Amino acid sequence: MRSVSLGFGGLKVLDALSFAVGSGERLALIGPNGAGKTTVFNILTGVYAPDAGQVLLDGADITRLASRFRIRRGLARTFQNIRLMPHLSVLENVMVAQYAHTPGWLGMLQPVGFGRANRWRAEARAALEAAGLGKYAAQLAGGLPYGVQKRIELVRALAARPRVLLLDEPAAGLNPAESEALHEALEAVARSGVTLVVVEHDMHFVERLCTRVVVLNFGCKIAEGAVAAVRGNPLVREAYLGSERDAA
Amino acid sequence: MSGYLEGVLALLCINTVLAYGAFLPMSAGQLNLGIAAFVAIGAYSSGYASNALGLNPILAALGGFAVAASVGWLVAFPILRTRGIYLALATFALNQVVQGTILNVDAVGGAAGYPVSAHVGFPVVAAFAIAVFALVAALFHTRFGISVTAVKDDERAADVMGLSVRGMQSAAFTVGAGLAGLAGALYAHYFNYIEVQNYGVLFSIYVMLYVLLGGTQTVYGPLLGAALFNLLPELLRGSAAWRYVIFACLIIAIMSLRPQGVLVKR
Amino acid sequence: MLEQQVVNGLMLGSVYALVAVAFTLAIGILNFLNFSIPGLFMVSGMLTWLLLRQAAPWPLAALGAVAAAGALSLLVERFTYRLMRTSEHFVPLVTSMAFLILLENLMLIGWGSDQQRVPVPFGSASAHLGPVIVSVPQLLGLGCAVLAVACMDFLLKKTRLGRGVRTIAEDAQLATLLGVPVERVVPLIFLFGGLFTGLAGFLFAVNYQQASPFMGEEVALKGISAMVVGGMGNIWGAILGGLLIGLVETFAIFGLGARAVDLCVYGALLAILFVRPTGLLGGVSRHQRM
Repeated sequence: MRSVSLGFGGLKVLDALSFAVGSGERLALIGPNGAGKTTVFNILTGVYAPDAGQVLLDGADITRLASRFRIRRGLARTFQNIRLMPHLSVLENVMVAQYAHTPGWLGMLQPVGFGRANRWRAEARAALEAAGLGKYAAQLAGGLPYGVQKRIELVRALAARPRVLLLDEPAAGLNPAESEALHEALEAVARSGVTLVVVEHDMHFVERLCTRVVVLNFGCKIAEGAVAAVRGNPLVREAYLGSERDAA
Repeated sequence: MSGYLEGVLALLCINTVLAYGAFLPMSAGQLNLGIAAFVAIGAYSSGYASNALGLNPILAALGGFAVAASVGWLVAFPILRTRGIYLALATFALNQVVQGTILNVDAVGGAAGYPVSAHVGFPVVAAFAIAVFALVAALFHTRFGISVTAVKDDERAADVMGLSVRGMQSAAFTVGAGLAGLAGALYAHYFNYIEVQNYGVLFSIYVMLYVLLGGTQTVYGPLLGAALFNLLPELLRGSAAWRYVIFACLIIAIMSLRPQGVLVKR
Repeated sequence: MLEQQVVNGLMLGSVYALVAVAFTLAIGILNFLNFSIPGLFMVSGMLTWLLLRQAAPWPLAALGAVAAAGALSLLVERFTYRLMRTSEHFVPLVTSMAFLILLENLMLIGWGSDQQRVPVPFGSASAHLGPVIVSVPQLLGLGCAVLAVACMDFLLKKTRLGRGVRTIAEDAQLATLLGVPVERVVPLIFLFGGLFTGLAGFLFAVNYQQASPFMGEEVALKGISAMVVGGMGNIWGAILGGLLIGLVETFAIFGLGARAVDLCVYGALLAILFVRPTGLLGGVSRHQRM
């Protein structure tokens, strides 16, 4: 992401923001509420188009590329407020992301409905089983508990076999046991070569998982570097303390 | 089979095809209040093809499908840029405009109605109905079924997950329009007389309502809706108006108690 | 000749304007396309015929027709908007359509499908303004329409009730939090819509001396066109749109014959939706659910 700026009707949300993520890296994107972190993700995935600046994936400029093509290039994400499809079953939700492998009309007409023998169904089911969510496969995604839905979102994003995975507050609202399970799962994903970019508030979680951190405040990058270095950075402390003071 | 019974079943078959015509855009989250217009387009174009051009009625019916689908495709571009209430209004306006246009085309009878000479028998109509049902059911057992529901549930998320939202909505709208046209063509060639006055917005409303009654969450809902709408009144006897009164009360009750329709996903 | 057509168009337009106001109140405040309105229009018109046929004095007929429409609108509210928050978003629209079907068919069962002639209680009082003949009842009808909308406007802009209504239009949940008595205000909005529609039905029946179970479909449905042309959610837009559509219709008949009416009126609707969906007086288009 290079010098990206974005404003909404006069309010500048991101201001000449630049950062880069190396292949296989685990980057954390942190900052107080309202710093623009989710906006960054929205620009990366093409939900918003920046007013200025570029987004590059593996050197290719994808700034103007429509949202739906980015997942096919290997860029997947999860959402801060879970966005599973409530009228689809868990299994079907996961299968939605499989379309990235077979784009186009022929891909759309691939049969998926008949029994467990179908290859796509089997793949999705296997992924759910591996994540320990097999028992939910046939249930509608709408009525499930929050923690379960979050895990399903991850399985769904992974079903596209991405090279870069954007995670928007994956640990939010999870209890310690779930958080630990998530950490294990993400470790495994990272070990398999997927690049991770994580927006998170849980610093403990970030410390354990990520190697590098970018700190945002009011749409600008205020610090960058290894976790320990950033933690000691007075600007960062000010940003967080400042926001705590405002909130108090 | 008695003539009356055959007529009822033929109408059921035709309405089944029509139900799926309405169901397709609904499965992608759009209400096509102009579906009657596409029925009219299919009926009139196929009727003209077999009357004036001497085309075989079955070919004419397929032609009706094609013409209606083409118009649907053309119209989909501007119309699908609208959303929600604007989409409903645009399809409603379209319906009235098409009806108003046909009214002025004297070559197909205008306000006086249009007799169609070529006849298709009940087996043909039934065959079409079965084929349409089978094809749509098969379609919904492909990735299309999952994708279209995904688009209906959450367009933004579906977009990020790689689905072409506009593409799917256009496809659903176009094929739906085509099926409505096919239904119109079958009606024209079975009952051999069509009147443009029948194809107003109230007709669209009836179709939408019985599809919603059957349930739009599964691919079997429209079939049930068409069956209820056509067969239940036969059991109840009574005038046409009473059937509609009961139908309307049923809709009001269902919408209060079980808006997803009779058949739901789980 | 042309001026006469303009006058005729404006007179017809006043009926459309009233219906358009009813539609626009529902869309603007409640985000709801109320398809039962043509049904209410028809009931009002038919009731006017029934009462006048029994030689009732015309103020009684007016009162009866308007009241009936108002009462029915409250019934519709019970089964549509009240369910909106708890249900799928298309439910109110669909249920309002069911009401239209219900009312039309009940009327068909009761009195058949013929168009009825409404006995005119005023004789043929008309005024001559220059080269133009204006029927006095129609002129009074137009006056009533404008007066009613002016009152509505005053209500919405200057009273506490109006503020509550406008808050609901912005955000219904917020309105509840701010203490607006939504459960009482919403039926009131429906009631106003019903009264406007009832007035329109009475005026149409009396001025054009006709009523039929299909008059909702044939006449009131054009109110949707008027509403959109004028600007959804704007009651003065509804008046403007109504008058414009009345003119469009009259000139369509005059220039192209009766068959061209639907094409012109709804063609205008389609055109506006593509070119300027917010209508002539509409502001920024908000995200519209159904």
